[in-house]
Amino acid sequence: MQKLDRRWIYIVVALAIIIPLMIPYDSDNVTTPPTENLYQMIDSFAGREDRAILMSFYHDAATMPELFPMEVAILRHAFERNVKVFTLTWMPAGAPIIEYAINTVKEEFPDIQSGVDYCNFGYKPQPFALVLGMGDNIANTMNTDAEGRKLENLPIMRGINNYSEMNLVVEFSGSVAGATWITYARPKYGLNVAVGVTAVMAADLYPYLQSGQLVGMLSGLKGAAEYEKLVDVFAAYRDPARDYSITHDEDGNRILPGRPFGREILEDESTRKLIRITTQTEAEFTLDQFAAFTAKHPEHIPLLNRLGEVREEKMVIDLDQVTPEIREEMGEALYQELYRLTGDTLYKFKVARIGMNAQSVAHIMIIVFIILGNIGYFIQKARAAKN
Amino acid sequence: MSFELFSNLVGAFFTLCIFSFLYKDNPFYQAAEQMLVGISLGYGLVYTYERVFVPYVYQTIVIKHEFVLIIPALLGMLYLLRFSRKLGWLSRYPIAFSMMGVGMGVPMGIHAAILVQMRQAMVPIETLNLFLIFIGTIAVLLYFFFSKAHTGVYGKFVNVGKWYMMIGFGASFGLTVMARISLLIGRIQFLVNDVFQMIIK
Repeated sequence: MQKLDRRWIYIVVALAIIIPLMIPYDSDNVTTPPTENLYQMIDSFAGREDRAILMSFYHDAATMPELFPMEVAILRHAFERNVKVFTLTWMPAGAPIIEYAINTVKEEFPDIQSGVDYCNFGYKPQPFALVLGMGDNIANTMNTDAEGRKLENLPIMRGINNYSEMNLVVEFSGSVAGATWITYARPKYGLNVAVGVTAVMAADLYPYLQSGQLVGMLSGLKGAAEYEKLVDVFAAYRDPARDYSITHDEDGNRILPGRPFGREILEDESTRKLIRITTQTEAEFTLDQFAAFTAKHPEHIPLLNRLGEVREEKMVIDLDQVTPEIREEMGEALYQELYRLTGDTLYKFKVARIGMNAQSVAHIMIIVFIILGNIGYFIQKARAAKN
Repeated sequence: MSFELFSNLVGAFFTLCIFSFLYKDNPFYQAAEQMLVGISLGYGLVYTYERVFVPYVYQTIVIKHEFVLIIPALLGMLYLLRFSRKLGWLSRYPIAFSMMGVGMGVPMGIHAAILVQMRQAMVPIETLNLFLIFIGTIAVLLYFFFSKAHTGVYGKFVNVGKWYMMIGFGASFGLTVMARISLLIGRIQFLVNDVFQMIIK
């Protein structure tokens, strides 16, 4: 074992990663409190005019495999649950990554508008001055967004003045850059700080988590996978019986899509379908849910009944049976609603979870190699002593 | 062939060139390495010009006439004098100016990184976790106290600090492995999804 050519180890590790990526399987990523706390903090801003989050992209392309899925997951959460988002970077190479992340998520949210639902400050130099300045007034300090528009004229700035409203910053970096916010903004303005960091840096930031200086932390691909799961289970959830075209209740309060975080929901058996990462094509309803769902679409009741199939006291619609003609007949809105109910997730929203499958297999392989290497070492040592 | 597929193929070719080093050093690896250095430098230069110099120096001074910015611009340019033997000493001024930020950070850094951490280490020991943190903090701090020999009961207690650090190093190693594997996963996801799947389609 000691004389084994290391290239064999490379081949085995490569296969351990390639095979799970090419053949994804359903696995569960148990969520941890640092991720859940961050999710809940962001979710508590849902639908509020006077609350916003700031995402700071302090990294370049080298750390994208770990950090980009986190950024996409948080942006998706914010867009699903109507949370105002500001983005910036202190690094010139971070500016195109912000645009790439926003565009990746925005493709699925045609109603989301720049300057209304989100605002990109782009690259800004002088981090210390701006971190302190935003504590007094954001519009005066940042002045313009990345497109050169005056911030004070943008609708997103309604109700947002300083850190009292933009009350959470999430710093994404491959370093301890999050400590800048902890050092300068948190003691003076009480800003809540969270970080998304590469796994290498996570150990350095755990003390801040324990002391409460960080409200949450996403560490590496695992943190991204956990956040993706939470978004699928809560923010992207749709109740089949509810009509989401109604955006306000009788009292004029805004009705938000998705549902609030709940630990019991995470442990519920029905959640299993929502966290699958393999392709899903079947939308499942209880009979009551199906009745409520068809009532929302009275003109398509015969079509839905024709597509539905009763299985174990559940009504199932398999989207694989929907031909282009049927899709045209039912309309794109109904098709998209049915697609949502299948629990299928687009590849870009489950990248980290698929990556974690490979990560798990690779870790097991590495542990096996370490154990075998140690056994080989001691056998060799015993033989040498004997000789 | 679409532009996206072409650019992905170029990316895939250079990714494989870099991976080929795992077999042994070869001209493909060396060519890719040299190109990475050259392209990174060129990209950085153009990008900094476009995103930093033009909006924050040229436009603000020449177009918006904010002439006060000439002072910091000149101060920043003094950095370039490091290449001159005669005038190299002038480059110390922008460095001295930037030390102002460091000075400001000292009291705030002490507060955030030491005082708050100390306060959190002094909370009532109500749970097993807090007890473990308390023992670990004391033992590790004493491990670095070298005025007393690490012998006897004291030495054994200090040894607990060493074990705590070993566990910490183990956790750091595990996380480092995870990070490096994640980078590999990112590259292979690119090869599998953005190149291989695109070619099949």
